[in-house]
Amino acid sequence: MSDVYEITIWARGVVQDMEGRHMTLIMASSADKDGKFVQAWDDYADLPDRVGVPLRKYVRISDEEIEMRYEYENKNPSLVVIMDDTIVKGLNILWGMDKGGVLVVNSKRSPDEILKFIPNKDLLSKIICVDAEEEFSMEGLDFMGSEGGVEVSAVGAGISAVLAGAACHGTDNLTIDSLVAVSANKEGAKAGYESAVVKDL
Amino acid sequence: MAKEMFLAGCSSAAYGAMLSRVEVISSYPIRPYTGIMMELSKLVANGELDAEFVHGEGEHAQVSIAYGASAAGARAYTGSSGVGVTYAMECYSPAAGGRLPCQMAIADRALDPPGDFGSEHTDVMSARDQGWIMGWAADPQEVLDNTIMYFKIGEDARVLLPQFCCQDGYFVSHIPGKVSIPDQKAVDEYLPPFNNPHPLDPTKPVSHGPQIFPDQGPAIDLQRAQAFIDTPKVIEEAVADFNKQFGRNYDPFLEEYMTDDAEFVFFLQGGHARTARFAVNHLREKGVKAGMVRLRFMRPFPTEAVAESLSKFKAVGTIETSTSYGGAMKGGNLIHEVRSALYDVPNPPPVTSFMAGLGGEVVSLEEFYSMAKVLTQAAKDGKVDQYVYWVNFDKV
Repeated sequence: MSDVYEITIWARGVVQDMEGRHMTLIMASSADKDGKFVQAWDDYADLPDRVGVPLRKYVRISDEEIEMRYEYENKNPSLVVIMDDTIVKGLNILWGMDKGGVLVVNSKRSPDEILKFIPNKDLLSKIICVDAEEEFSMEGLDFMGSEGGVEVSAVGAGISAVLAGAACHGTDNLTIDSLVAVSANKEGAKAGYESAVVKDL
Repeated sequence: MAKEMFLAGCSSAAYGAMLSRVEVISSYPIRPYTGIMMELSKLVANGELDAEFVHGEGEHAQVSIAYGASAAGARAYTGSSGVGVTYAMECYSPAAGGRLPCQMAIADRALDPPGDFGSEHTDVMSARDQGWIMGWAADPQEVLDNTIMYFKIGEDARVLLPQFCCQDGYFVSHIPGKVSIPDQKAVDEYLPPFNNPHPLDPTKPVSHGPQIFPDQGPAIDLQRAQAFIDTPKVIEEAVADFNKQFGRNYDPFLEEYMTDDAEFVFFLQGGHARTARFAVNHLREKGVKAGMVRLRFMRPFPTEAVAESLSKFKAVGTIETSTSYGGAMKGGNLIHEVRSALYDVPNPPPVTSFMAGLGGEVVSLEEFYSMAKVLTQAAKDGKVDQYVYWVNFDKV
């Protein structure tokens, strides 16, 4: 059970709900393509969402069958992705993280600027910033809630691919080649990987 | 060619309904089943499914619309969760008594109080005696497969009964798993269009569900009861045909896991079977001969299959994800059915029950290990000390 790699994604309610969910799906599909056991899902208590509220979305990746599939939350994330940089303020976004974790932030700001807002930044071994809107505008905006529905086409068409591309610098469990292969927005995934500002801590 | 996708149980049910070519859909939102209707509304809007999508003003209206459509000869589909399922209670008997085989997807949810989104089987288990076929899927793949199979069973001329096609809320409905989506052509070969033998038709008037005199009641009830006696054979045929057509391996009534040399088994229905299988594996690593038997149909209850299967073991523990307050066994529902099925078996195994997973609580591996301790002792003693154990509250 301890070998399950956990990723938590924080998104804004409604406006980023679909892209956040897509990020979990392309990350999981990419790891699945690499032969891993995977799980991608939304936090059950955060839905149905209201506009702008912080939402959590989760991925689990493992070399073995994931026995803890029904646990509602990722209690020990090694990688956290923030889809809107204002979420770093006021919430313990690194909740449950052990020392040595990785943070990916969608931001125009530099890693050092973002770190100022994170009181428990000593948990991090790496921070990655990427300006996903710059790389890809907010296409794929969908005001339908997700609520158990899972898209099956055009998954990862917007900023999710850019952020997931950047996240490939944070873990061996995500490989850029597989991520590009499973994302609808292939150029975005590559651009996210290439334009990411990575700072080791 | 079948294609594989990551689908949660909600989307999987929607795809099952689309492949079944449902003609009338009635919706009303409630978590967690809502995702089924959201996905279906998209499929209709995109032109992938040609169906009438009707919004009910509540669950009572939803089910009325569905069985009304079925009376007119349409393949009708609806669904609900939790208090929505109980709000529609009045409509279940008319649908079953009218022999109108519409399908209701259930992603189960705990009843109030307090407000709780979590999975619990009590909602639709409360409707188990209304004359609907009822069973739980254990994963998104089985949700899709059951959706198609239930139409085949319910619409069979020997059956003509509505169906509750159930899945655990969240655990199955909201966590995507790999699902193989069959070809439309293969589904069309398996599931012919619905043929209502007495459809409502203005050019050929018939009456459905008219008022009767009291002495006409028993005969009508007997017919509904007889349909349930005839249904198991139809289930066997429908499951065998499905396995052949789509390359699956379902047993009609029971999934048995590691039962060949098991001393005791966990007996349950629905998605917690997944954790139970891991628990059985780990218990066996420690030399404990555990097994699992999963019930695939609650109604009709497969009495003979359950008696034959469970009489092989030294102890049985039912895992109750529903409540029967004040019932004969003081806890859940499964134990009543299991003990009744085993009553005429010579030297039946002791049977106890575990209240676990209520309100959507995760039934953890540790809880299975606790239950295994009770069942190991029961197998040794040849008896149980309690009818029911509340896991984490009783001394388990």
